[in-house]
Amino acid sequence: MDIIRKIIHSRLFILWVITLVVIVILLAITLLLISNSKKTVVVDAPPVLPHTANTTKELPPSIQVKLFLYDPTLSELIAVYVDLRLYPDPTERLKQIITALVNETRPNYRNPIPGGTKLNEVYIDNQMTAYLDFSHHLADGQIGGTTAEVITVTSILNTVFEAFPDKIRHVQILIDGEEVEKLGGHLDISNPLRF
Amino acid sequence: MKTHNNYNSLLRQYPFLILIHLILIIFIKTHGYAQAQTVRFVNINGEVIAEAESVLHNKSVYLPVDIIKDVFDPEMTYNYHLPKKQLILKTKDKEIRLRMGSKTVNIVTDKKNVPINVPPQVIQGRPMLPMNFFQDILPIFDDIVVLYNPNLQRVRIIPKTAWEGNNDEAGKQFIVIIDPGHGGAEDNGCKGQNGLVEKDIVLAVAKKIQSLSKQEGFIIHLTREQDQYRSRIQRVQSTNKNQGQLFISLHCNASYSENQKGIRLYINNPNGQLRSKAGITKVIGQKGINILNQANYLKQSKDYATILQNELNFFTEDKITLKEFPMIALADVYMPAVLLELGFLSNTDDATKLANPDYISELAKSILRSIKLYETSINNSPDTANE
Repeated sequence: MDIIRKIIHSRLFILWVITLVVIVILLAITLLLISNSKKTVVVDAPPVLPHTANTTKELPPSIQVKLFLYDPTLSELIAVYVDLRLYPDPTERLKQIITALVNETRPNYRNPIPGGTKLNEVYIDNQMTAYLDFSHHLADGQIGGTTAEVITVTSILNTVFEAFPDKIRHVQILIDGEEVEKLGGHLDISNPLRF
Repeated sequence: MKTHNNYNSLLRQYPFLILIHLILIIFIKTHGYAQAQTVRFVNINGEVIAEAESVLHNKSVYLPVDIIKDVFDPEMTYNYHLPKKQLILKTKDKEIRLRMGSKTVNIVTDKKNVPINVPPQVIQGRPMLPMNFFQDILPIFDDIVVLYNPNLQRVRIIPKTAWEGNNDEAGKQFIVIIDPGHGGAEDNGCKGQNGLVEKDIVLAVAKKIQSLSKQEGFIIHLTREQDQYRSRIQRVQSTNKNQGQLFISLHCNASYSENQKGIRLYINNPNGQLRSKAGITKVIGQKGINILNQANYLKQSKDYATILQNELNFFTEDKITLKEFPMIALADVYMPAVLLELGFLSNTDDATKLANPDYISELAKSILRSIKLYETSINNSPDTANE
């Protein structure tokens, strides 16, 4: 016991303890700085959304997708094929397909989506309803008449349901993020639609 | 030698002479005799009940006497007395005498003479009756109304009861709301290549219906009387406030194809060819009282649309299709309602027709006839009688 008491009261021991405390404090500060520096890196990075989590993965080979364009000679919507390298995530895939529909131009066909229309965003909710948010050009560019409006809406719905027969049951068209009653004044598009 | 030259010259002209001959034969065939055209007789539902070859003579359409058997009275008999040029008809227990070329019809049984605008004639060796006889004389002998569409050569025979009803409801006034779509500088609707604008055409048709309706005793309210912007809510509010028994929204169509043409008819059905997730909510209030809602009028809307469809099929060559979609213009209207697209302004034929005031007038008359038939069908229905 005397030996222990002598060691505790010795100067060397006190120095050793102080050194140990300083080392622990320095270690803590270092760890704190390291952890802070990691947080800074995360903040600078672009936000990673859940539905784009897989986009960093390598894209699969391109596949054929049906888009519905209007054949003025037959006066009906006809499926045309485009090759797309689709992401596996359904929301991303839907966005790719509808963007392809919006931008598709083909000789001898009319695209019933008015020129200048942009697809802002797409969402799929847990009730299998797809929300397609278009720019205001989709409504502003309507040529008038119930028939033209039905053709536009049918083209969108056909394209969606053909690509997602089991995953999407309804489609709601939004204009610049808002629910709207109509595109050109005839069809009621205030609720999700299906055939 | 000279004779030989003449002969050669004649031979050279021979094909030319044959051609002249052919042209003459065709000309005589087509112009020397009255042209034949098929006239179709249809019933109230638009079904064809008989067809007859007509003859156009002095700008009037004539039909053979036998057709009366097929469309009016199977027991009709007739006898033509050649020296007197007199046709004696026996139908529905009446004897009628017509002299060829005379504008008087003698109803022997009733001992009276009835004037006829166009006289009967002997054409191609047989007695023929003018269209006026079917329109003006036959209805004297039976409770029918005969309508004739000269553009399509169709004759429609409607029972008078379907047309006029039993006048018990004469005291009640039938209120119809006509909604000329679009309007104002903000909303022209669609435009035709010939400069026609939808908002002007629909207003012209609506006003024509309104002016013609005064003779029929209907009250017609328009959701806009002039070229002014009216929001959907404003139209719905004024419509519901006027408490009409029928709502007709008038529009002009457009398509991405210049070939698409004809009249289209729509009713509001959220469970139609396009289905709305909201579906149909038939609203029934406390104690089973029906709360005003368009869904409650789906059946009546279909009933009227079918009558209008038949009427327009009589008026126009192209088959009228009736489609059911969720329609925003009709969604909040609390009465039977249809949306009528009068024609495609993107189609040259339709745009030309819609620029013609005579066509607009005939179109308005057809719509008015459908209103009259619908009103009569409501008054005659047992449901109304029990109310």
